[in-house]
Amino acid sequence: MIVVLLPFLAFLVQALLGKKAKSGNIGLLAIAGSTIMCLLGVFMEVWHSTTMSQRWEWFVIGKSPFHFGILLNNLTVLMQLLVCIIALPVHIYSRAYMKGDEGIHRYWMYLSLFCFAMLGLTVSINLFQMYIFWELVGFSSYLLIGFWFTRESAVQANKKAFLVNRIGDIGFLIGLSLLFSHFGTLDIVDLFGTEGVFMKGFLNDGSWQVVDKNTLWITVAGVAFFLGAMAKSAQFPLHVWLPDAMEGPTSVSSLIHAATMVAAGVFLLCSVFPLFNDTVLLIIAVIGTLTATTAAIFALGQYDIKKILAFSTISQLGFMMVGVGIGAWDAAMFHLTTHAFFKCLLFLGAGAVIHEMAHLKAHYRLDIDPQDLRQMGGLRKYMPKTFILMAIASLALAGFPLTSGYLSKDSIVISAYEWASHLGGGRILIPIALIIVSLLTAFYIGRLIFKAFFGTFTHEEAIKEPISLHEAPVAMLIPMVFLVIGCLFIGYSLNPLNYHHSWLMESLHVNMTFTVVPLAHTIIPVFLTVGTLITWLIGWKWYVKKAYPLQAESKWILFSTRQGYLDEFNNRVFVQGTEKLSLALYWFDKHIIDGATKLLTRFTTGISTATHWIDKYIVDGFVNLAANTTYYIGHLVRHVQNGQLQAYLGFAFTVVVLGILYLIIR
Amino acid sequence: MITLTHFLVVSACIFCIGLYAVLAKRNAIMILVGIELMINAAILNFVAFGKYDKENYGGQIFALFAIVLAAAAVAVGLAIILNVYRHYKTINPEKIHELKD
Repeated sequence: MIVVLLPFLAFLVQALLGKKAKSGNIGLLAIAGSTIMCLLGVFMEVWHSTTMSQRWEWFVIGKSPFHFGILLNNLTVLMQLLVCIIALPVHIYSRAYMKGDEGIHRYWMYLSLFCFAMLGLTVSINLFQMYIFWELVGFSSYLLIGFWFTRESAVQANKKAFLVNRIGDIGFLIGLSLLFSHFGTLDIVDLFGTEGVFMKGFLNDGSWQVVDKNTLWITVAGVAFFLGAMAKSAQFPLHVWLPDAMEGPTSVSSLIHAATMVAAGVFLLCSVFPLFNDTVLLIIAVIGTLTATTAAIFALGQYDIKKILAFSTISQLGFMMVGVGIGAWDAAMFHLTTHAFFKCLLFLGAGAVIHEMAHLKAHYRLDIDPQDLRQMGGLRKYMPKTFILMAIASLALAGFPLTSGYLSKDSIVISAYEWASHLGGGRILIPIALIIVSLLTAFYIGRLIFKAFFGTFTHEEAIKEPISLHEAPVAMLIPMVFLVIGCLFIGYSLNPLNYHHSWLMESLHVNMTFTVVPLAHTIIPVFLTVGTLITWLIGWKWYVKKAYPLQAESKWILFSTRQGYLDEFNNRVFVQGTEKLSLALYWFDKHIIDGATKLLTRFTTGISTATHWIDKYIVDGFVNLAANTTYYIGHLVRHVQNGQLQAYLGFAFTVVVLGILYLIIR
Repeated sequence: MITLTHFLVVSACIFCIGLYAVLAKRNAIMILVGIELMINAAILNFVAFGKYDKENYGGQIFALFAIVLAAAAVAVGLAIILNVYRHYKTINPEKIHELKD
């Protein structure tokens, strides 16, 4: 509990302190405390032993109670420790990187909020709580991406990130509702644990019933959860927010977009893994491969350092998804862990380089973009330590032997090959694609290193005086050194060549449905290593010796640089489509609905006019008729009394005669 | 023989002639004449029926009274007509209709 609450407390305190919390010590202390607690108190106790959980009742809807609580099993404590360990050096690094920024108090506030949300996500006991923290993570990422909100591009980027994440949230919500409506519980232990519903079945009207995983709704639920993971972990085509998210500070990018938030999607999939049936798993694997391939292609043509790293993240996330899709989610988690370390390191290193380039720009008043690769070169001379650290991280990314990346990446590729050969069919394309992507990965990261650190500095001739580019400050270097330890193989396994012996894999062990192919275990790594070396040789020749065969403006490169024109496509289809739709609806509303109203008005007016006519001529006519008749009769009868004597006498006489006649006749 | 019926019929005739004069003459004095005729007819009736009262001679006596009263009535009537003439300047009853509504 304390692990989760410490960053939250830090967030609150910093929010209250406002502008005075400039040094960020509070956040730092909080995260350091969390890390230590996590390591000693939680990790040591729970790893490789039984699951612990704790629930408190929260609220009741109808007959079903909702709880919140903590779940501690291998998976969650691994993620927890990972988040803490990555967040700690980022906090230290940020002190130096963000020094002097005006909004720094907000920065620490948001950073603590993010850590709280991420940690809360990892320990959630049920999916509802996880959803809450999921959204909170998305929200803090929105705040952090748009940290420099005075920049128009930053504002657009964080809006895009939030909207795309929202699409994924719908998927998560649909999955949640489906599960709840069918099983009546969202508890992770109840659903997915070893005693849980998916393993053993559930009580249905008194008799145990095993869950049939091939029904339609299970497929839909699986796809829905994957949709949530797709948006959060930037799978194709919902990856568009991640390159734009580079508008945020680099330290933020290293924490959120390399190591933790984007890993939340993979974490979700591993948590609900028993839910997926074969169809969904195949979909996951295919989309993962697609993501990995397209992102690697796009990374080849980028000029901005951070965008190259962003696409690299997307590509590696594709790898992890493939790991989940083939059933080897322990390999996916392993790759997630190692990726967190070397990607964070790469980002921090890139941040150091950008920091120095920005200083250069301010100092010499150059009109350059500090993040542009084309402006850099030969930085090895000026920033040797950064160069070494980034080089090691790049080796890990490329999967070079003796690094942790080698173990984890090859675990996925080899498992994919075994899976494909076990099941046959067109599935062999997936490992082939993964191998190609690995080679492309080596190429683009080699391109980055070569262009930035080798060769001659672009501005050396322009500036005659000796250049005052320094090495990165110590406060930035120490966290990077800390992370590099995680990039080497020693942290994970005593055997640098065989990944099955890694302690991580052994604890998370998952029963595979496919057989191990020993030949693949040697051929594939050898092939990959040789291929990597060849690609680096090519890259060396092209970038360092400047013997570049392709034109810079050629169509292929433009396609890659413009990210496959995906943004334009999205804009044309969705944004303009929505605008046109709203215009059409406005026209409809104005002419047809208002027209109907006017028609009704005219109709009512007509009716009232007719009624008025009826009233005036017919109803009043009757009344007038009655009156006139009475008047006429009166007028007639009036002549009886005309004042003439003889008339009166005549009448009287007539009556008398009539009376006498009547009497005689009777 | 001259029976009672003959007397009655003559009396009725005279009465009708008087009635006609009252109702249809445009001269007020002619109306008086008509009234006088009607009274005379009634007197004749009395005398005719007087034949049955030989002890008191009631019929005859009453006839005398009636003649006197007729004269008085005509006198009064003439006085009225004189006044009417003074006011209306005419004695045509059709022209005197102020009592109409």
